[in-house]
Amino acid sequence: MQEGRVLPARQINADLLRSILNSPKWFWITVALLAVFVLGAFSAAGFLINRGYGVTGLNNQVLWGFFITNFVFWIGISHAGVMLSAILRLSKAEWRRPATRAAEVLTVFSLMTAMLMPLIHTGRPWRTLYWIYTLPFVPYDFARGIWPNVRSPLVWDPSAVYTYLTSSILFVLIALIPDFAVLRDRTTGLSHRIYSVLALGWQGNARQWKLQIIAGVLLSALILPVFVSVHSIVSWDFGMAVSVKSWHSTVFAPYFVVGAVHSGVSAVVFVMILLRWCYGWQDYIRLEHIDSLGRLLIVVATGWFYFFVMEVIFGFYGMESDELAVRQMQFMEEPWNLWMIFFVGLTYFLPVALWLTRSWRRNLWLMSIACISVNIGMWLERFLIIVPAQARKQVFTFNWYTYAPSIVEIMIIVGTFAMVTMLMLLLSRVVPLIPLYDIKEGDILKTQVQVGRRTVPATFRED
Amino acid sequence: MAASEHHTEGMWVFPAPEAVTGDMAEKAAGMPKAIARALVVTGILFGLGIAGFVVRALDDGFGAHGPWGYYAAIFMFLFMVTGAAPLAAVAFRFTKSHWRRPLSRVSELFAALGVLNVVMFIPLMIVLPSIKNPEIGVEELEIRRSIWFETPIGAPLAWDFLGILFLAICSLAILWLSAMPDMAEGRLSATGFRRRLYSLLAGRWYGTKRQWTIQKVGLGLLGAFYFMTLVFVQFTVASDYAMSLVAGWKDSIFPPLFTLTSFQSSLGLILITLFIMRRWGGYEQYIGVSAFWSASKILLGLTLLWAYHTFAFLITFWYGRLEIEQNVLKYFFFEAYGGAFAANLFFSFILPFLILLWNPVRKTDWGPTLAGLSALSGAFIFNLKTFVGAFNAGDVYAFFFEFVPGPTWPDLWDVFMVIGGLGAAAFIYLAATRLFPILSVWETKEGAKYQKMDTLVRGRYLVLAKPE
Repeated sequence: MQEGRVLPARQINADLLRSILNSPKWFWITVALLAVFVLGAFSAAGFLINRGYGVTGLNNQVLWGFFITNFVFWIGISHAGVMLSAILRLSKAEWRRPATRAAEVLTVFSLMTAMLMPLIHTGRPWRTLYWIYTLPFVPYDFARGIWPNVRSPLVWDPSAVYTYLTSSILFVLIALIPDFAVLRDRTTGLSHRIYSVLALGWQGNARQWKLQIIAGVLLSALILPVFVSVHSIVSWDFGMAVSVKSWHSTVFAPYFVVGAVHSGVSAVVFVMILLRWCYGWQDYIRLEHIDSLGRLLIVVATGWFYFFVMEVIFGFYGMESDELAVRQMQFMEEPWNLWMIFFVGLTYFLPVALWLTRSWRRNLWLMSIACISVNIGMWLERFLIIVPAQARKQVFTFNWYTYAPSIVEIMIIVGTFAMVTMLMLLLSRVVPLIPLYDIKEGDILKTQVQVGRRTVPATFRED
Repeated sequence: MAASEHHTEGMWVFPAPEAVTGDMAEKAAGMPKAIARALVVTGILFGLGIAGFVVRALDDGFGAHGPWGYYAAIFMFLFMVTGAAPLAAVAFRFTKSHWRRPLSRVSELFAALGVLNVVMFIPLMIVLPSIKNPEIGVEELEIRRSIWFETPIGAPLAWDFLGILFLAICSLAILWLSAMPDMAEGRLSATGFRRRLYSLLAGRWYGTKRQWTIQKVGLGLLGAFYFMTLVFVQFTVASDYAMSLVAGWKDSIFPPLFTLTSFQSSLGLILITLFIMRRWGGYEQYIGVSAFWSASKILLGLTLLWAYHTFAFLITFWYGRLEIEQNVLKYFFFEAYGGAFAANLFFSFILPFLILLWNPVRKTDWGPTLAGLSALSGAFIFNLKTFVGAFNAGDVYAFFFEFVPGPTWPDLWDVFMVIGGLGAAAFIYLAATRLFPILSVWETKEGAKYQKMDTLVRGRYLVLAKPE
């Protein structure tokens, strides 16, 4: 399946470095607009820390609201990087090439954004230090002999997320070395010096290529367990809580991981479509790539739907009155039942319907709608798992509660979306968001086979 | 193909497209002595199984489900493995993987065992306790926990049976549609009964462009239906015959784990069959090591997923500290069936993982086969532990699983039924290979046209074509 033409290396460099060497007019205007939202979010977070939790919609019963929902959402988005880059690299899928860099970078930024959420959620972020370690010169907790509970998923969680963040950054940097060298050779002054340091003396000789490829493959294999563990542990933040009904479910770990891949890959597809539009990269991000990702998404979405059905059916299976109260709220009471319909429709039925035919998968507008729809749905999914379960966790009905977010929470959440977009845009000014060497390698490996009267596209393969 | 700097010896094979048809017809026409002997041996085992079944029915009747635990386990094992096997052909055809070609028909032929699954399921319908409690005792539920909440008409038996029946029909349809072009070629060279059978099955196939398109679309649609139905039926059957029989056991990951074990073990079984054909069946020039190498990576992935799902289950129950969950852990994993679980873990995860971890081992025909055999053994133990345990876990209408019983050991008739089930499956599969070519002729010829060796810079490399 090769639809693009083979381009000369010089043109590939010129096209893909355009975002770095020549800024389009819209670039700084968009960054400034996004910066306003980001500043708004930080101001709201400062206000929350200053005034306390009263400025949010959280209450005695519903202690985890928009912040934790958003945390799980961004952790989910971060799963795109490994899914597209590591797994497709290991499986030698040719169509992965233009998508890998954007996916890896999105992973890093979404993880960074996700980590902000629990910090803000604590209300007093400096005290999260005690989660990690206790020091003699930090008197309060040490004096009381309070130590972090290493058996709590809340301690496993930051460990897993930081490990994933570190390995993802390493993964991006290793893949960037040859492209840094190209940039080093095309820049002057301070930029040249910075790219020289980042290129680590890359000359492109056979030994360096071999080491870079081995490092890439090894990191791909090593990052996979981290990738799976991160969202599994996030799911166990919920799954280990016996007292909150509907959370203590054995299927949560794979359900969360598949959901994360679903939302993450959809987000990458949308980012790719935006890059194609913004920078005119039609020769690199081709319809065949979007088509392949669409087909992959059908499989991922169906896998996610299966786990969702399991989770719901076994929620009812036990016939326990307190769990049935949660399910009653999710499925029968307004507005939660309407949100539930929206969530399932937006996450599965609408996008899969749009991905079923080849011509629709190749329509960028429809693909954009489908991918945005998945991400709205997946955000709602986390919200509907978190809030109703807490609102109905008490045995007695007079303790039942509900939750409505305040403007402070909404501002912070909107700010996180603006922040990830802004960081992606800013990064596109300093590194190519499509890997140059990967595209060139793909072009070299392209060939054709004559079968009867037809010429069939083919690829050179190595064991 | 000889070894080169970039390709391992025997990794890729280049059969001559024009010679494939004749060679296959020749292989299918004869009856090698080894196969004749295997048919006799498996036929005897099949007979022993029937004897064991008859004695069990006369001794214990169908009133209680407890004595039928081993029968349920062997049925579930066969259903799990042979039900998922045709999916390999469907899935890898969907992903346009070239290496799938030798294993397509090998996996589709397991459709022949669908009939055995349907027949073997009938006694299990009779022994399953009703969902409504016929005699409500002290601290008992009126309706036992089940996925059939309001007990719709015919639930669960009719729905389970219809599901298994549909799977059998659908898999046979996949086999027929896929084998149609081969039957059309075969009817020209075959004689006697085979010629009549091939003519009947080939229908009006002439290989027009329209017919090829219909075949491709038909296989895709049937495959998608088969996949969805299989996952659904595995969910209902596994829940009805395991979880639902252990009072209070609520475990949402059990059906996915059952399905995952079925994918892993069926791929293992396909690799074993492929290995036998390559080493002793005379098909070496058609089956390259690439089939083993590529399948081994999928098997490694499934093995890791199996461990992940098992761990997700264990940690949630262990951490929860609820009494029912602790009792389920004690019964199935640590005390009563602790040894079986250890063996299950060893064969389903540890051994295949240690084998498949090494790329040089994956690049052989024996390495992935050994891992496949291990996975298959693990699945066998998984079913014994789960279904024998569930069938003997006490009062199914109790509020929860309060007392942890000991393990249930097999008697002679149980052993007969287990080996008889395995023998019956092998007998039917071997018989099917006498009727259908065990390699898909049209896919082998197609694959031969889509690959060649070519020069890139200074090296000789394989070129693989991927048509739209």
